[in-house]
Amino acid sequence: MFKNIIRNYQVYLFISSIFFIGSCSKSFLDVQPPTSQNVSSALKSDADVLVAIRGMYAGMRSSNLYGRTIPLLGDLMADVTYISASNSNRYINQQAYVTTINDANVSGMWGGTGATGGTVSFISVGAYSIILRANNIINAEIASTVNVDQYKGEAYATRALMYFELIRFFAKPYTDNADAPGIPIVLTYNPAILPPRNTVKEVYTQIVKDLTEAVRLMTVTAVNSSQFSKYAAKGLLAKVYLTMGDYANAKTAAEDVINNSGFTVVTAAAHAAYWANPAPRTDKVETLFEVSSDATNNAGTDALAYIYSQSGYGDMMAAKDLYNSYASTDVRIAYLKKKFRGGDSAWTVEKYSNVSNISEKDEVKVLRLSDVYLVAAEAAYNTGNETDAKKYVNYIAVRRTTSFTGYTSTGAALLNDILTERKKELAFEGDRFHTLNRLKLPIQRNTDYPVAARTIPYGDFRRILPIPQDELNANPSIQQNDGYK
Amino acid sequence: MRKMLLMVLVIALFCFQARAQNRTVTGKVTDENGTGIPNISVLLKGTTIGTTTSAEGIFSLSIPANSKTLVVSSVGMGEKEVRLTSSTSYTVNLSANTKDLQEVVVVGYGTQRKTEQTGAITTVGGKEVENRPFSSFDKMLQGEVAGLQSVSASGAPGATQLVRIRGIGSINASSAPLYVIDGVPVIIGDISRNNTTSNTLGSLNPNDIESISVLKDAASTTIYGSQAANGVILITTKKGKSGKAKLRFDTEIGQTDIGYYNDDYLPLNSEEWAMITREGLINSGNRPGQADTLVNSSTYGAYNRGYNTDWLSLLTGKGKQQQYNLSASGGSDKGTYYASGGYYKEDGVSLQSSFKRYTAAIRGRNFVSKKFTLTTDISVGLSQMESPSNGTGFANPIYAAIVLMPTKPAYNQDGTINISDFDFPSGSPFNPLYLAKYDKRELNELKLIGNITAEYKILKNLNFTSRFGGDYNNLEETQFQNPNHGDGRNDGGRGFSYYTRQFSWVWTNFADYTQEFMADRLKTSLKVGYESYKLNILNNSLRSDGFPPSLDLTLASNASTPKTATALINDKARISAFSNLVINLDDKYIVSGSFRRDGSSVFGLNRRFGNFWSVGASWNINREKWFDDIDLISELKLRASYGVNGNESGFGYYQSLATYGYGYNYNQLPGSVPNNVGDENLRWELNKPFNVGLDVSILSNRLGLSAEYYNRKTTDLLLNAQTSRTVGFISYLTNIGAMENKGVEITLRATPIQTKDFNWNLNFNFAHNANKITALYQGSDIVDGSFIIRLGYDYRTFYTRLWAGVDPANGDPLWYTDGAKSQTTNDVNKAAQVPVGSAMPKYFGGFNNTFTYKGFTLDFQLNYSLGNYVRDALANLYFGDGTSATRNKVKKQLERWQKPGDITNVPKYVTNGNKNSSTYSTRYLYKGDYVRLRNLQIAYSIPNTVLQTLHLTGLTVYLRGSNFLTWVKDKNLPWDPEQGVNAVTNGEVFIPKVYTAGLNLSF
Repeated sequence: MFKNIIRNYQVYLFISSIFFIGSCSKSFLDVQPPTSQNVSSALKSDADVLVAIRGMYAGMRSSNLYGRTIPLLGDLMADVTYISASNSNRYINQQAYVTTINDANVSGMWGGTGATGGTVSFISVGAYSIILRANNIINAEIASTVNVDQYKGEAYATRALMYFELIRFFAKPYTDNADAPGIPIVLTYNPAILPPRNTVKEVYTQIVKDLTEAVRLMTVTAVNSSQFSKYAAKGLLAKVYLTMGDYANAKTAAEDVINNSGFTVVTAAAHAAYWANPAPRTDKVETLFEVSSDATNNAGTDALAYIYSQSGYGDMMAAKDLYNSYASTDVRIAYLKKKFRGGDSAWTVEKYSNVSNISEKDEVKVLRLSDVYLVAAEAAYNTGNETDAKKYVNYIAVRRTTSFTGYTSTGAALLNDILTERKKELAFEGDRFHTLNRLKLPIQRNTDYPVAARTIPYGDFRRILPIPQDELNANPSIQQNDGYK
Repeated sequence: MRKMLLMVLVIALFCFQARAQNRTVTGKVTDENGTGIPNISVLLKGTTIGTTTSAEGIFSLSIPANSKTLVVSSVGMGEKEVRLTSSTSYTVNLSANTKDLQEVVVVGYGTQRKTEQTGAITTVGGKEVENRPFSSFDKMLQGEVAGLQSVSASGAPGATQLVRIRGIGSINASSAPLYVIDGVPVIIGDISRNNTTSNTLGSLNPNDIESISVLKDAASTTIYGSQAANGVILITTKKGKSGKAKLRFDTEIGQTDIGYYNDDYLPLNSEEWAMITREGLINSGNRPGQADTLVNSSTYGAYNRGYNTDWLSLLTGKGKQQQYNLSASGGSDKGTYYASGGYYKEDGVSLQSSFKRYTAAIRGRNFVSKKFTLTTDISVGLSQMESPSNGTGFANPIYAAIVLMPTKPAYNQDGTINISDFDFPSGSPFNPLYLAKYDKRELNELKLIGNITAEYKILKNLNFTSRFGGDYNNLEETQFQNPNHGDGRNDGGRGFSYYTRQFSWVWTNFADYTQEFMADRLKTSLKVGYESYKLNILNNSLRSDGFPPSLDLTLASNASTPKTATALINDKARISAFSNLVINLDDKYIVSGSFRRDGSSVFGLNRRFGNFWSVGASWNINREKWFDDIDLISELKLRASYGVNGNESGFGYYQSLATYGYGYNYNQLPGSVPNNVGDENLRWELNKPFNVGLDVSILSNRLGLSAEYYNRKTTDLLLNAQTSRTVGFISYLTNIGAMENKGVEITLRATPIQTKDFNWNLNFNFAHNANKITALYQGSDIVDGSFIIRLGYDYRTFYTRLWAGVDPANGDPLWYTDGAKSQTTNDVNKAAQVPVGSAMPKYFGGFNNTFTYKGFTLDFQLNYSLGNYVRDALANLYFGDGTSATRNKVKKQLERWQKPGDITNVPKYVTNGNKNSSTYSTRYLYKGDYVRLRNLQIAYSIPNTVLQTLHLTGLTVYLRGSNFLTWVKDKNLPWDPEQGVNAVTNGEVFIPKVYTAGLNLSF
């Protein structure tokens, strides 16, 4: 009898042990990831939003964006830089104007590269990934405070910036045809969407709306130049208006920045030190907004600096006519160095000099006060105010060549001087291509460039990039640009 | 089939002779050493006439004179049929490794009599993996099991081995089988994060293995449910046996060398290098004078200095190999024990490649009471591994051995290693001699596998087992790159320290119930169980740069600038209920079914649980009464099975969740981003294998054949569905693909010669597998590196341009512009890219022969793999007609076109390349067919009479050659034909051949 009880007791124990495991099953399977959070719990407080803001900015360090492609193509597809015969085989097709619909640089800028798994890897995100990050912050359901408004303002400005880059690369200029197909406007997250293209006008309207909202929301002094501030957004708005050909509004916005921001233009004496500095600034000198890299977080060999610097790939050379356009006393000529490369002596670019610096890496400038001055000059000229135009362009010109006393030209010659100064000031920062496009000017390149791609008239379909094929594959509602079909 | 049976019947009738008297037979049942075994059941087949053996193993039985067969059996040792002849005395050897016994096979959560088997299972005995000169047992499965492909990408000792059973079954999840050691599922593969390769199974001592069961079909694997899709490999370790204590010592010492080298791919010497470089410079537009100047410049290695360095000999070569194993085992009616210790050391055939392993195992079984048994198994392995860089890393000694210019001296005049800027400027491969001396890349791995198992016999026919097991892997990786030369130079030296811990535990509870019906004619056995499993992974990584000049201070804490400091955890949890039912009528008709329900944390909330099932049936035709008189055929069995099982490994841990990720930092402050789309419906990949098999043994088991046909359909494959990029994501993982693997397997066992002194045993296996992709996301092609994944094609189909040779007029490379090869072009952009061949062999298998004559044994094993292609992915560096102009070339390059009219396959040599001739094309795709002499061994065992005087129970000495010879079909194949599952070269350490001498001693 006793033995039987023992035996039954053991049987019950065995059976109950099985049920014990069964009962704790649900929580047992609830394994949470250690380095990520459910979307629903990621944006709960203003501190969460601040962290998300940093992730948004960090994404722009991608070599598809300001990390390299955006500033690089702005010069390479124009007449500022060319690729040495000795090169790492990058961007060859963009230089030669034979970009295909499958081009990785193009699809990278649009939506990112590296289709492995669902996870978007850190250095390969595209503009729409940044837009998603900004959208989530803008749409976060969180009570308004001074800080939350500031962060949301930064997200609005960033979203506008990304749309501004995309619309300039992938669609006809507003100044050409505002009703032409633009790019899809996406303002909320939904993984199932297949959006068609909005018109150029609709996109610019959204950009202006976002920047206006950004300026309204941002009231906190910027931490440093690597985050958007009120006047950085305003300066960007000025540049957007200029691109739209809305010169009156461009002038008003630019002058607001010049007069009220407290930022100052870098002087000739401080010029070399300004460019050598790899850290974000807090002194309100020159930089309105830049994308920061540091010793740990940088695009490495895929960085803009690496493809320019002779300590890196060093593929990108300054076009000889650009070099010749600088006076010998121009401080900007200091970062052009002659070197034998690719079977020829060429002008290398050492504007980004921190490739070998192990404790800091070069930032990429997105908007500088000098740019805003040149916006103001061009806007003033186009609103018939040559006095202001000269005032603003000379403000920059005399601070680059101390022996220079300023332009005195008038009419078309003055406009030409303003555009030349713009080219010289913003060389290697990706501006020139967009300037030639918005003004519908031909691209005329010297013998540094491939024979077949020395003249690209305005109207050539290749003046804008193709919508990437992988977007077309996934999204049947989207329409390819003419000429690439 | 029916015809064949009829024929067999007719033959049998001729043999049939009737007698009707009683007679007495006597005999002895012995173990492998000739010792009698007590308590063995001896039964006249098909009757109840029987007896058991005495303490000495002797039996005596009175039986009808016309009796045909005795069945000798014992639980745990299986059973054996003895054909009766006119003799009255029989000696029956009932050892575990006897080929023809109807043994018990190890199956999921237990054992099964082979008679009741409905699935496709191949068993490999411990003897096949003992004392081999390979660092892990998975390497020894090569050629042993039909349908099991075991290949390595690297010959580095301790390298990972890729095992695929019945083809590749997944694209983005794992294709590796589940390994279960003594009931505990283990972590496999290369889990190192800094070493170029490693293998967790390398920390196990193969000499501790008793047997390996390879489960291939639904009936045998489905009890493992969501881990069963790619087959299951069950490893049973050695246990002690009741009886006298046994001691065993085994050792093997030898030498490794490069297994296969095609002399056409030896690097050029200085004279040849200068000659071809000069030619290339002239062909690229230099005047002869300019070319001479350049050849003598530092850029091209300054030929006129007169150096001629044989880098290949300096950087590769012979290595040492040795192992020692000691074990003790024994037991009594109270319990048994087994204890072992082992040491294994192997040097790779390149610099910076070595592997050392220390192992210990202890296993005890305690018979607490008649009903209660407690078993404890613990194995500990500590391995130390050193692995060089691979691929085109400048630090890779294999790559450097081929491409370093012979005109550069390895050493300075004063005998120090040359690292001058003149010879090794930035952008050049490093001098690996210096790196071998000062750099470090080491892995220390500790693996601990153990389980505690309690078995309780609740009733005579109800058994309960509870097992708690764990697999603990602890990897410490340290790397130092010196500040003077190599990868560490620009950062002032780099120090890495990585810590990886992967721990899994499993708690399994199950009951086995058996019940007989219909006067014991109908036997049923039912297994029901429950299991919980957890995997915890911890990865800590740190790196610091900026080292002091002393090259002895190699740890990261000596460095000035911290660069990396990360910690990562990955966890997985699983709960399961499983059951298995076998219904057996008269040992003739067997039906089996398995069911398992798994819940896993890696899947979407909506689809966490999955149900898996299988059914199997077998018909033991030879047990039919009408078959009893067919003497020719001793076994004839037909099997079939079908089921559905799943795949839950290898694609990450949190893919189903929509998440924000952290670590996207800005200005060194924390940042977050949305990093995964997630899919709440993410679920198991499903594998639906159908199998039909036939087992035949004839001529008293002198000839045995097993044949299998399978069709393995995989659906719900995890693939990336594309989102519109405007969403902010590119893609997300979801269940959309499908593929199938169909094939045939044949295993043939034969004993062509069996005499008193001379025996010849052979074992041949053959497998054919055909893979086909049957569904993809939107049906679109996926270009995957060298391959294309396309509907209707094999998964590993190469995707490349068709090489059309060289234009005899001008030495230009030519390609075809279309798949039909109708037109050629010298413009690579006009060359069509088409699917070509596959990396997966069409046919593969092995052929074993064992000849024994008295005490001598000659053993040879051939492996073969036929019908695949191998891509040489680094050829553009050393065989690219002038690309990578400052890298040395191979002899094959000398066959280049030189003047109009030359007929050759090697284009004109032009410095910096000839019209992209080195672009990936069929020029660099070679037939991968090979046959390898995997093992050649001659052994001598000292006879028993001598042993007794020496007080030993066994003494064997042998000589062995492993990977001794390799025959390849394509004489242009540059490197070893075995290049992993993907068959793409990557400058890995050469697969070695090994010569060893060994000694086995037992007493």
